[in-house]
Amino acid sequence: MAEKRKYKKRFCKYCESKVDFMDYKEVGALRFSLSERYKIMPRRLTGNCKRHQDMISVVIKRARAAALVPYTVTRKQVITQPFENLR
Amino acid sequence: MRNYENLVIVKPTLTAEEIQSSIKAIEEVITSNGGEIATTDSMGMRKLAYPIEKNERGYFHVIYYSVAPSAITEIERKFRINEELLRFVTIKYDTNREIKAWNGLVEKAQKKAATPAKTEAAPVVESEATTEAPVATEAPVVEAPAATEAAAE
Repeated sequence: MAEKRKYKKRFCKYCESKVDFMDYKEVGALRFSLSERYKIMPRRLTGNCKRHQDMISVVIKRARAAALVPYTVTRKQVITQPFENLR
Repeated sequence: MRNYENLVIVKPTLTAEEIQSSIKAIEEVITSNGGEIATTDSMGMRKLAYPIEKNERGYFHVIYYSVAPSAITEIERKFRINEELLRFVTIKYDTNREIKAWNGLVEKAQKKAATPAKTEAAPVVESEATTEAPVATEAPVVEAPAATEAAAE
């Protein structure tokens, strides 16, 4: 009965702060939903709700097209400058 | 008329004056197609997240404008011909929520462009940033890049 919870109860960070619109030019705000290889983090790990996950994925893709966020990073780039330009 | 935003990346190999003149040409493409530029925001020379045409850096410039939707294809065609542009991103602001965000972004960009002269920011925003904006923002637009150049040097 006292089965221990493996994970914390997940909540959507964007719902919490009532985000209505995301700007692709504010790159620092996108970091939360990017992995260290700049992949879009899945909803099951970040706890985002569907609505905000849809928003963030569109915004990240726009930022990639605008060369604000890389599409991928090679191993060399990961070691030399992790998240260097996202600040 | 619909609200749009264009981010253009100009080649870093050009000199400062050439960058300014090419940005002027870009804005003229928009205005000549019936667009009304609400405001502009130059993000300055930045490092690109990945090399484009073997360039590591680029001059970022954002233009907020409203134009008839049919003119966008022509504007984008002109952008594609322009060899000084590395990349452009056109964003449409269509729904009520997005239009609200667009107004907020325009307001923010105007404040940033005219930080010393704060007086004109309030009335321009109330008039939906369409009628007075092109006239009002013309002066800070010219000043702001000059200031960034001075800072860069």
